Amino acid sequence: MSNKKDSITNDDNFKNFTSSTVGDIHVEDPRIIAKNINVYYGEKIAINNVSIDIGKNEVLAMIGPSGCGKSTFLRCLNRMNDTIDSCKVEGELYLDNKNIYNKKTDVVTLRAKVGMVFQKPNPFPKSIYENVAYGPKIHGMAKNKIELDEIVVNSLERAGLFEEVKDRLDSPGTSLSGGQQQRLCIARTIAVSPEVILMDEPCSALDPIATAKVEELIYELKENFTIVIVTHAMQQAARVSQRTAYFHLGSLVEVGTTEKIFTTPQDKLTESYITGRFG
Amino acid sequence: MNNLKSRLAKEKRFELYGFISVFLALSLLSLLFISIFSQGYTAFEETRIQLKINFEQDILDPGHTKDWSVIKKSNFNLLVKNSLSEIFPDTTKRKQKKKLFKLISSSAEYQLRNEVKNNLNIIGTSKKLWVLADDDVDMLIKGHIKRNLPEDERRIDNKELEWIVTLESKKYIDKFFNKTLFTNGDSAEPEQSGVLGALIGSLFALTITLALSFPIGVATAVYLEEFASKNNKFIDFIEVNINNLAAVPSIIFGLLGLAIFLNFFGMPRSAPLVGGMVLAVMTLPRIIIPSRAALKSVPPSIKEGALGVGASNVQAVFHHVVPVALPGMLTGTIIGMAQALGESAPLLIIGMVAFIVDIPQSMTDPSTALPIQIYLWADTPERGFVERTSAAIMVLLLFLIVMNSLAVYLRKKFEKDIN
Repeated sequence: MSNKKDSITNDDNFKNFTSSTVGDIHVEDPRIIAKNINVYYGEKIAINNVSIDIGKNEVLAMIGPSGCGKSTFLRCLNRMNDTIDSCKVEGELYLDNKNIYNKKTDVVTLRAKVGMVFQKPNPFPKSIYENVAYGPKIHGMAKNKIELDEIVVNSLERAGLFEEVKDRLDSPGTSLSGGQQQRLCIARTIAVSPEVILMDEPCSALDPIATAKVEELIYELKENFTIVIVTHAMQQAARVSQRTAYFHLGSLVEVGTTEKIFTTPQDKLTESYITGRFG
Repeated sequence: MNNLKSRLAKEKRFELYGFISVFLALSLLSLLFISIFSQGYTAFEETRIQLKINFEQDILDPGHTKDWSVIKKSNFNLLVKNSLSEIFPDTTKRKQKKKLFKLISSSAEYQLRNEVKNNLNIIGTSKKLWVLADDDVDMLIKGHIKRNLPEDERRIDNKELEWIVTLESKKYIDKFFNKTLFTNGDSAEPEQSGVLGALIGSLFALTITLALSFPIGVATAVYLEEFASKNNKFIDFIEVNINNLAAVPSIIFGLLGLAIFLNFFGMPRSAPLVGGMVLAVMTLPRIIIPSRAALKSVPPSIKEGALGVGASNVQAVFHHVVPVALPGMLTGTIIGMAQALGESAPLLIIGMVAFIVDIPQSMTDPSTALPIQIYLWADTPERGFVERTSAAIMVLLLFLIVMNSLAVYLRKKFEKDIN
């Protein structure tokens, strides 16, 4: 394990680590810095030496063929991989200059800072209100019912769902349509005011109209949050993101501004994926 | 075309098999119910004989003490005998008289005793009382002893029959709802025996069983499913053994109870406390296995969602996974408890098979349980116990139905709460 360091400072020469990635993996003002990340499932290597910076208030899209490790990498960012027994992570991962794979890191606080929206909408089998209120409740973010109500309404408003559900906050979250459920999950995530939101193919189970709504939401959320989104739809990546990372067989092949990746990709693999030759 | 035909035929055939098996199961079940009910329904009535009792001062309280501790020692049986002699003044021979008195259950004297105890002013007056008839009279009135049989083939001889007919003609004999069955413990006399002792014993034992096996079983299931490491040889070993325990014959658990709870810890014999503990050990694997299945069937996305908003593992499990799995866990518990209720073998071994007349007052009093009461009564030769055996089975089934419906109600409630 090489993740012994607690934190890094600007004195550290961390921009000089080796990487086979094409394009610019560094940004001016990074919120997350991943350094030589390797992930293993048992003996099998799933992520091979990935290094990337993720800037503040940017949307990073991660694209690539199925099984290329983009979801695995995403799940490293809030240590969701910890729940898988056979999964082992090597390398250094800094959130706001703190190594999140340090033994002293409290996973619970980390996950409150780095929220996650999953591929399939997974509202809790409780009321809409309870779904959103759960996070603030367990983190003690509201002193009383009035504050809690405020957080819930505010989160639902920011997720663009409040108008649709304001009359039935007590009905179960599972009674909503797929797109509404996914926006409820987003509301649930932003209710704990995270810094980073991870989205694992958030629209793959949604119809085009619901997708458009979620994309619009992502666009608005970028004002306040760092968003990392895994997607299979390249148009979606092009629509919502500022930077795009292309993964292939566990390696990060190319990173760059979305415009550059989609118009003038430098790597052959990226180019053939973008142009739809495989994937 | 041929293919389609044979496929449709196959489906039809399968449907038929299913129908036949359901029909078979239902008819066997109804056969069971019909046979139990037809044999047992008469047990819910008891025969009583009306006597005009003179509470004579000379017999009860010759010294006018009005002191219960003195009065309670008097010969209440004499009052019954006097009253009977009044109805049949012609019976004077000693042997005949003895026979006549046997028409009345020996419990009559206790009934009179209570009557006096509750109201000391009754002494010196007279009162009409319905006292319990002997079980042979009861059986005759209910028609279980046929009147037209030759005298040497029936338990009631011609003289007794004559008396009963006389009583009937005077409307001094009648059937009442059998309260005795629900207020008494076991007895050597069928007409005085009841299921209350066994019912309370079963209730005590099951309370202990539920209180021990449900929390331990659920906690074990939650630990094994949600917290224990999946690649641990020791955990694997525990799992295999839990599955094995579910298949161990129940009598073995009785031996375990005898060896450990009674002989090693020196706990009381025949006590519902120990019975409940033995049943709890037996029920544990039957709760753990379905509880684990219920936990396994909770979509992992729910737990991930909770972890994703920063819930700790414990919070995610207890706030989200366990509530969703609870209905399934309850189902397992219902089945386990139903089995425990019907279990007799382990209770035999720890001595809950004794003949116990008193109603148990606490968990450590000697007691029997319902299935054992059924077993005991089924083993007795008196005709009166035949119907009581069936009645006890009905009480057991009713207890089971009440217990199950309560559990189903709870399950539905939890299901509604989470959806």
